[in-house]
Amino acid sequence: MFSRWNWVACGFYLVLNICSPDASGGLVQSCGHIIPESPVLALGSNFTALCILNESCLDFGNIYANQIIWKIKNRVVPKEQYREINRTVSSVTFNDTSSLATPLTCNILADGQIEQNIYGITVTVGLAPEKPKNLSCVVHQVSRFTYDMNCTWNPGRHTFLDTEFRLRYSWPEEIFPDCIPKGVNNSCTINDIQFFVNTEIWVEAANALGKAESDPLVVDPVDIVKPLAPQNVSVSSGILPTVLKLSWENWISDTVMTLKFNIRYRIIGDTSWMEVPCEDTASPRTSFSVQELRPYTKYAFSIRCMKEDGVGYWSDWSEEKTGITTEDQPSKGPPVWRIIDASHSPASWTVHLMWKALKPFEANGVILQYEVTVRDKSSPSCPLKKYNVTGTNHTLQLPKGTYEVTLIARNSVGASPPSVLLIPASNSKAPVENLRTLPKHDKLWVGWTAPNNYVLKYVIEWCLVSSSSDCTIEWQIALGDVQGIDLKGIKPFKCYLITVYPLYADGQGSGQSVKAYLKQDRPSKGPTVQTKKVGKAEAVLTWNHLTVEEQNGFIRNYTILYKTIDGNETVVTVDPSKTEYTLSSLTSDTLYTVRMMASTDNGSRTGPDFTFTTQKFGKGEIEAIVVPVCLAFLLIVLLGVLFCFNKRDLIKKHIWPIVPDPSKSNIAQWSPQVPAKHNFNSKDQMYPEGSFTDVSVVEIEADDKKSFSEQDLKPFDLLKKEKSTSEGHSSGIGGSSCMSSPRQSVSDSDEGETTQNTSSTVQYSTVVLNGYRDQTPVQVFSRSESTQPLLDSEERSEDHAGGADSTAQRQQYFRQNGGQDENNTDRPCFERAKQVTHANEGDLVGFVQLQVSGQSSQPLGLGMEKNTQEAALSKVLQTCTEGQTVRPETVEENPLSVDDMPKSYLPQTVRQGGYMPQ
Amino acid sequence: MAAADSPSTALQRRDLCSRGIRLAGKMRADVVDLLDAYVEQQGLDASASMAVVEGVPLAAVERWDEQTGTQRLLENLAAYRAFRALLAQMLEEQREQLGEADTGLGRALAAVLLQVSAFAYHLEELLRLESRGIPGEEEEEEDGPPPPPRLSLFEQKLRGLGVLRELAQWAVRSARDLRQLAKPSPATGTAPGLAENP
Repeated sequence: MFSRWNWVACGFYLVLNICSPDASGGLVQSCGHIIPESPVLALGSNFTALCILNESCLDFGNIYANQIIWKIKNRVVPKEQYREINRTVSSVTFNDTSSLATPLTCNILADGQIEQNIYGITVTVGLAPEKPKNLSCVVHQVSRFTYDMNCTWNPGRHTFLDTEFRLRYSWPEEIFPDCIPKGVNNSCTINDIQFFVNTEIWVEAANALGKAESDPLVVDPVDIVKPLAPQNVSVSSGILPTVLKLSWENWISDTVMTLKFNIRYRIIGDTSWMEVPCEDTASPRTSFSVQELRPYTKYAFSIRCMKEDGVGYWSDWSEEKTGITTEDQPSKGPPVWRIIDASHSPASWTVHLMWKALKPFEANGVILQYEVTVRDKSSPSCPLKKYNVTGTNHTLQLPKGTYEVTLIARNSVGASPPSVLLIPASNSKAPVENLRTLPKHDKLWVGWTAPNNYVLKYVIEWCLVSSSSDCTIEWQIALGDVQGIDLKGIKPFKCYLITVYPLYADGQGSGQSVKAYLKQDRPSKGPTVQTKKVGKAEAVLTWNHLTVEEQNGFIRNYTILYKTIDGNETVVTVDPSKTEYTLSSLTSDTLYTVRMMASTDNGSRTGPDFTFTTQKFGKGEIEAIVVPVCLAFLLIVLLGVLFCFNKRDLIKKHIWPIVPDPSKSNIAQWSPQVPAKHNFNSKDQMYPEGSFTDVSVVEIEADDKKSFSEQDLKPFDLLKKEKSTSEGHSSGIGGSSCMSSPRQSVSDSDEGETTQNTSSTVQYSTVVLNGYRDQTPVQVFSRSESTQPLLDSEERSEDHAGGADSTAQRQQYFRQNGGQDENNTDRPCFERAKQVTHANEGDLVGFVQLQVSGQSSQPLGLGMEKNTQEAALSKVLQTCTEGQTVRPETVEENPLSVDDMPKSYLPQTVRQGGYMPQ
Repeated sequence: MAAADSPSTALQRRDLCSRGIRLAGKMRADVVDLLDAYVEQQGLDASASMAVVEGVPLAAVERWDEQTGTQRLLENLAAYRAFRALLAQMLEEQREQLGEADTGLGRALAAVLLQVSAFAYHLEELLRLESRGIPGEEEEEEDGPPPPPRLSLFEQKLRGLGVLRELAQWAVRSARDLRQLAKPSPATGTAPGLAENP
C-alpha cells in the first residue's frame, strides 16, 4: 500500500518537474539530460550517448539509471546497447550511426509501467567533405577590358550536411577575397582577374565534420583566357573569281595578348565547313584573303581566335558573314539527251533535244543562253545549223540520218566547252547486260554490266509508271567507267520504268529496261472478285488487275479465299497474271462467300466479299428429266391416237350411231311407184320421162344454181363422193341438225304453226344434195339458224342472178308439181300438213329441217301468217302453195317403224302427189 | 648575385621577364585608358600640365642604358611601391569623393593598383633570382619622405592625374628595363651599377 502511493507520488513529481516553471528561469526542469547535445555524427561511425539523471529526481521519485529506456523516433533501442554506468547515468552505444534517427530520447519507466520522457536530442548524421578534385579555370573575356575567371571542380560525395565551398586564389604577397558559389557547389566565377601574375587557386570545402582543400592550381590567368570572337567580320569579293577577302576586328589588344585565328567557310546551302589552314592564320591580323573558291558562289565565313602561343582556349566562332565570288566562264558543257519521235513521218524524225541546266559550280554564273549546233554527218557538205535557245530543250525536224549535235552554254564571261551528242540512225550497238536495281535508303541504285565495247557514257532514263498518264521521262548521264548510279527523287511505293542506253563513240546501244520500286508496300486495295458463271459444283471467278497506283509493289500472287457460311475457309493461290479462276468441288445450292487478296513482298490486301449461291441442278440435269418425260408423254399420246385409230369403228359406233340406210328401208319396197332399187344409179332411170308423177320433187331454194345444176348434171360424182359431200353441205348447219337439233326440229315441226307464229327467227334451210353411201342423193333440207331476215332484194337478186335456169327449173318443177297438184287438189292443205308432221316423226332419214319455198303458202300457213318473210316468199311461190299436198297414205304408213329405228326428223314438205322414199 | 645562372633560374628569369613585360604593356594600356576616364570623370583638361608631383618617382633617367640590371630592378621596385601607395591613396580618396557611385573608375583604379602590385611582385622575384636582398618597405618608408600633407580636392585630382601619367611612363620604361634584363648577356649578372647604387 505504501509502495503504490509512493509510485503515484513519484509520477506526480516527475510531471511537476517536467511541467512546472523553474525558479532558475527555465520553463522546464528536466530530470536529466543527454550528452552529447545534438551531435553531428559521421555516417558509419560508432556513437555513445549518456543519459544523466538529476540527483533530485533520484531522491524524490526513486528513479534510477537502470530504469532508463532509450528510444529512436519512438522505437525502443535494444537493451543490449544500454550500459548502466552508475545509478544516475545510462549509456547507449550504436556501432553504426546509419541506424540512428532523430530524435534520440532518454525515457524512464516509472512504476514499471508508466513511460516518461526525460530528455531528447537531435542527431545529425553525415559525411565530412571530400577533397575537391579536377579544379580547372577558364578566363572568359567579357568585354574589351573585362575578364572573368570561372573555375569548376568536382565537389566529391554528398555529405548530407551543409557544406561550404570556397574558391580561393592569391598571389604570393596578396590574398584575394574568396569566391563563394551561389546555388551550386562545383563552380565559382572571379571578376577582375589580373594577368601576367602567377595566381594560386584552390578550393576549400568545409562542414561540421571536417574541412578539405583541393590541390592548388597555379596559373597565370592570361594562359587560360577564352577571348571573345572577332567582331565586325566583313566579306568582300576580289578581282579573281576564286578569292574573297575577309576582314574583322579583335576585342583583345595586343598589349594583353597576341592572337592567332581560325577561318572556316562553306557554300551556302551546304552544311559542311571547310577551313583555312591554321598555319596561314597563325599570326596576329585583322584580315585574310580566302582563295580557291568557286566562281559565282555564295559563301559563309566564320572566324575565331585564341592566344597566339596556343595556350588557352579558342574563342567561340564569330557570327557568319556571307559573300559571293564573281562569275567565271562555265566549266563544262551541259549534259544533253534526246527523244526521237519517228511516228509522224517515215522519212524524218522529230528530235526533242533536252539538256540539264548546269549546276552552279559548273555554270560559274548566270547562263544567258545555249547554242545548239546540228551537223549532218552523212553529208558533210551540208551547212551547220545553229540555234540559240534560252530554255533547256529544243525540237528539231530532221530527215532520218546521222547527226552530231553540239551544245554550248554561255554566261556573261564566256562559253562552256561543247557537249556532243550523236543521233544515230539506229540503236544497233550492244546494250548493257544484267540490268538490276537495289533500293538504298532513299535512293534507288541502278546497276548493269558493261558491254564489251568501250562506252563513252551511259544514259539512264526513268519514269513513273502510271495508269492514267503518260510516262514522263527523267534522265541522267553517267560516265562510261561506272556500272551503277543512284537515282534520286524516287518516290516509295511507286513503280518506275528504268532504261539504260550505252553511248559509244560511233553510236548508241539499244536500251535495256527494268521495272523497280524504291520501297514496296502492301496494295492499297484488294481485287474485286465476282462470278462469271456459277454452276452446281463450280464457279468461275473473274477480277480485274489492280492499277499500278493501287499495287504499291510487284503483285506476287493472288489468293482466293472462299467459304460457306458455316464452313472453313479455303484458300487458293493464283498466279498474278490471271484474271479468272474456276472454283471446283463446290456444294450445290450453297451460299458461298469469296474474297480475294493481292500480295506484294510487303503485305497483302483483301478486297470486298462477294457472295454467290451454287445452282441446285447441274447443267443438263433439267433437260435430262424434262426431255424423257415429254417424250414419254408424246409416246403415250401417239399410242392413244393409234389405239383410237385402230378402234375407230368401235368409237364411231359409240359416238355416231349407225344411221339406217333409207334405201334399205321397207318403204322403198313398199312404195309401188318407186322404181327398182338398182335403177337409181342412172339419172335417166332416176328421172325418166313420164315418171314424174311418181317422184316427189323438192324445190331447193337456198343453194345456187351451180351447185344444184351440178347435182343435176353429175349425179355419179355425187355418188362417188357421197360422204364428203354430205359433210360439206352440212357445215355449220348439218352439225347441229344432225347432232342436236332433231328434237328441236321435232318440236318445231310438231308445233310448227305456233312456233313460226311466235318467233321472229327465220330459219333457213339448205338442201343437201347427197345421198348416204351408195344411195341416191336425196333432197335434204338443211336448216339455217341465222336470225338475219331474208331480204327481198337478196331473194330477187338471187332470183335474177339465178338466171333463167333456176326459174326454169322451178317452173319445170312447178309444172311437175302442178301436175301432181292437179291430182291432189281434192284434199285440204291443213290436213295434209298435219299428216306430214306425223310422217316426219316416223321418218328415219330426216335430219334436216326443211324450208320449202312454198312452206308458208297461204293455204298451208294458217298459223304462219305473221311470218313476213314467208309472206314475201309466198308471192314468189304462190303457185306452189296451192299445189302442195301431202299424201295421207304416206303419213299413215310410217308410225309402224318409229320405235325400231333411231329417230330422225325431217320436217319436210312433201309435195302433192308424191313422197320420195330415200 | 654574381653566381652563374642555373638553367632553371635563367628560365624562370626569362619567364618572369616575359610576363613582366606583358604586364607592363597591359598596365600601360590600362593606365592610358584610365587616364582618359579619369580626366573626364574629374573634370580636368587632358592637356593640363603640372609641376612634379611630390612623392611620385620619375621614370626619366639619364644614361639609362648604362644602368645595371639590379639597379634597374631596384629603381623599378621603388617606383612601383610608391605607385602602389599613391594609387591606394587615390582609391581611398576616390571612394571618399564619389562613394560607391562611380564603380567603373574605382574598379579601373583597383585593377591598375593590382597590376602595380603584381609588377612589384615580379620585380621582387627577379631580385630574389638575382640573389639580391629585397629592400623592406618599412625601412624604405622610414627613410623616405614624410607622408604628403593634406591636399585640397583639386590638388588631389591633379596629383592623381600626375600619378597616372607617370605610371604610364614607368610602364614603358619598365618594359624596356625587363627586355634589357631578358637579353642573355653575360653582363646581366655582373650588375656593374649595383656597386654604385645603394
